[in-house]
Formats: sequence, C-alpha cells, structure tokens
Amino acid sequence: MKKTATILILSCILFLLPGFNAHSADSSAAQTSSSDELDYMNDAEPQVIVADPLFRLNSAVFEFNDKLYFWVLKPIAQGYMAVVPTPVRRGVKNFLHNFGSPVRTVNCFLQGKMEAAASEMCRFVYNTTFGILGFLDPAKEFPHLNPHEEDFGQTLGLFGVGNGIYLVLPVIGPSTLRDSLGMVGDYFITPTAYIETNALAWALKAEEAVNDLSFRIGEYEDLKDAAIEPYLSFKDGYLQYRYKKINQ
Amino acid sequence: MSTTRIRCYTLGIIMLLILNPILTVGISLAASPLEDLKIPIETVLSLLKDPVYKNPDQRQQQRDKILVITRKLFDFTEMSKRALARNWKSFSSLEQQQFADVFADHLSNSYMDKIQGEYKDETIIFLNQETVSDGKSLVKTKIQRQTKDIPVDYSMYSIDNQWRVYDVNIEGVSLIKNYRTQFDQILAKESPAQLIERLKKKVEIKIGN
Repeated sequence: MKKTATILILSCILFLLPGFNAHSADSSAAQTSSSDELDYMNDAEPQVIVADPLFRLNSAVFEFNDKLYFWVLKPIAQGYMAVVPTPVRRGVKNFLHNFGSPVRTVNCFLQGKMEAAASEMCRFVYNTTFGILGFLDPAKEFPHLNPHEEDFGQTLGLFGVGNGIYLVLPVIGPSTLRDSLGMVGDYFITPTAYIETNALAWALKAEEAVNDLSFRIGEYEDLKDAAIEPYLSFKDGYLQYRYKKINQ
Repeated sequence: MSTTRIRCYTLGIIMLLILNPILTVGISLAASPLEDLKIPIETVLSLLKDPVYKNPDQRQQQRDKILVITRKLFDFTEMSKRALARNWKSFSSLEQQQFADVFADHLSNSYMDKIQGEYKDETIIFLNQETVSDGKSLVKTKIQRQTKDIPVDYSMYSIDNQWRVYDVNIEGVSLIKNYRTQFDQILAKESPAQLIERLKKKVEIKIGN
C-alpha cells in the first residue's frame, strides 16, 4: 500500500516537471516554400501540447459528461431559469462569486500581483458590506476593482509547474493534473469548504453549478457543433484558455 | 548654381507643395484595420437589430445579407490554409478548393447560428489596434454581456489596401489553432477526401435543419 502510494506520488511529480511538457512553435517552417504566401506556418504563440495517456478513460468521461449535460444538467438549469427570476439568479451568482474572493486574493498575492490582491480584498469588503453580503455587486462601478480570476492552478503554472497530463473530470470537464491539484489546493481556502453538514455543502455546490449554468445554456452546444472532433476541440480550447490566463 | 538648375529645383518644390495635400489625403484614405473591422461588424449588428427581420420567415434573407458582408471581411481561404498548416500541401488543388469552400460554409454556419440564435442586444466595443508586423494587425474588441465581458481579438492582414480577418481569438482561444489541432489528428488517420466529406456532412445537417 505504501509502495503504491509512493509510486503514485513520484509519477505525479514527474509529470508535473516543466521538462515533461512540450511547447512547440509550429516547427514546419522549414517546409514553407513560397515567400509570396502569408507565413501561415509561423505563429506568434507556441502550441501547447499536453500528453494524454489516459485518452481512453478521458474519452469515456467526456461522453458521460456530454450525456449528463443533455439529460440532467440542462433540463434542470432550464427549469431553474424558468422559475427563478434573473435578478435573483444574478444575486446568487454574485454572492457565490464573492465567496471565491479568498482564493483570488491569495493567488494574486502568491503570484506577486500585489495591486490585484489589494483590489480583490477591497472588492470583497465593499461588496460584502455595501452589497449586502455579496448579493449585489456595487463594486462593478469601479473598473479598477474588477475581479482577477486567479486560481492555484495558474499560480503553479506561473512558477513553472508543467500541465502534467490531460484529464477529463466527471461533471467538471477538461482539466490537467496541475489544474486539478490546484483545485484541491483552492478548496482549503474556500469558505464553503468549512460548512459543517455535508449535505448542506453539497447542496450549495449543486446550487452554484445550476445557477451558473442557467446563464450559459447553449454555450456547450455551440462549441460542440462548431467542432469536427469535439473531444480534441475542448482539449485544445481548454489548454489555450489556461495558457492565456497564466500569462496575463 | 546655373539658372537652369535653380529653375528645376523651384519647379520641383512648387510641385511638391501642390501635390502635398493630395498625398496626405491619399495616406489618410489608406485603410485602418480597426475601421475595416468596425464597419462590417456594425452593419451586421444593425441587420440583427432590424425589426424588419423579426419574422422567422425573414431569417434566410437576413442570413444571406449577413453572409455577403462576412465573406468580404473574413478571408476563408487564408483561414483554411492556416487551419491545415503543413497538411495544406498534401491536398491536391481540387481538394484545396473543395476544402476551402466547405470550411467556409461550416464557419459561416456556426457563426450565423450563434449570432442569429443568441444575439440579445449585446454591445461590441472596439478597443484598439496593434500592429503585429508589416501588413499584420491585431484588433481588440469586447462583447458586453449580462454577466460578463468577453474579449474577442481579430487577427487581420492587409491585401489590396483592404484589411481582412484571418483568425479570431475568443477569450484567449484561437479559432484557427483549435481547428488545426483537430484537423492534424484527423488527417493522421484519414485522407483529405474523407475530411472534406466529414465537413460536408456537418454542413448538410445544418442546412437540413
């Protein structure tokens, strides 16, 4: 048992090493012949490549998430949207987003983004007091207090920790080894983690998921329709998105 | 200096002075990426908002009008080349043509479905333009929605004094790179003809709806 655990931990660390991950500029430049054509092989930003050794498992979870969305989550969100008025839904979204403030503040601080950390703290205080515990968002009147969506996965990325391997998590969707560990780290600084009753904590999580989804019905379908290979499209989209966030 | 030379120089200077206003007007008429993006997009937005097209029967007309504009703004052939990257050369010229056509249709459909289906008076703000290199520019915009703002950047290049889009970057995700990853993997196992067939099927399903 101890041996398995050690091997698991060591392989996790190995996967996370920066060297293990590849960033390649589209290196087919050598094959471009004509100088008249736009240099469509050379891009300013490198393509993020992350290994996918759990491809079979990931595809299965991807299929599962797809069915879960269409059969369970979407109908619930649509029903929710029909019943709950928009201002209330927005209030809930603001309230729960406010709860995420410690995570954002701490990660801004860890990344050396002091101004951002300070503005996150200000925003939290302002919204909690003047925004009635965060249901309202009066801080949005002040652009310099705009939220900085930082998380521990990004912090690790900034420190050079590689993505590791690609993972598709049940319900949550695309992730990587690093970002998943990041989520675990962030969990401990989220206030909702310290709710005593398990049932209440889960109910809150479910409420957050359904409420967020009620604003975004249609996005998943659009992305899926636009893709020729949805699994790859979501994988690449996720990696590009995270790369951009880390470098912001 | 001889009189002839002085006369030549004077003539030259006079000509420059006369031509100068014409030259500056000429330069200011040169297209700017931001303007070349803004005008078509604002036309599309006004078409979407136009009450004339509220009736579902009018959707096809509205769609056709919008497509005329987008085909001028987006360089689909260039996008096809970039989406295939090194695989472009392994397509025959007929296949290249077929691919460019069907990929253009697919992109137009996706774009049209999204905007016709979901446009709810969002505002688009044109932020700025950055020159990336000679003849290439990046125009940054922002879509303001209920709960958040979505940054959308357009990569444009200049051809025949007209700026056209060759890539769209939404929240950090490049459309062309995303397709490139998919096409790369597909072409590792399938032939160009099969890929074209796949795209054709996708487009047909849309039209069938």
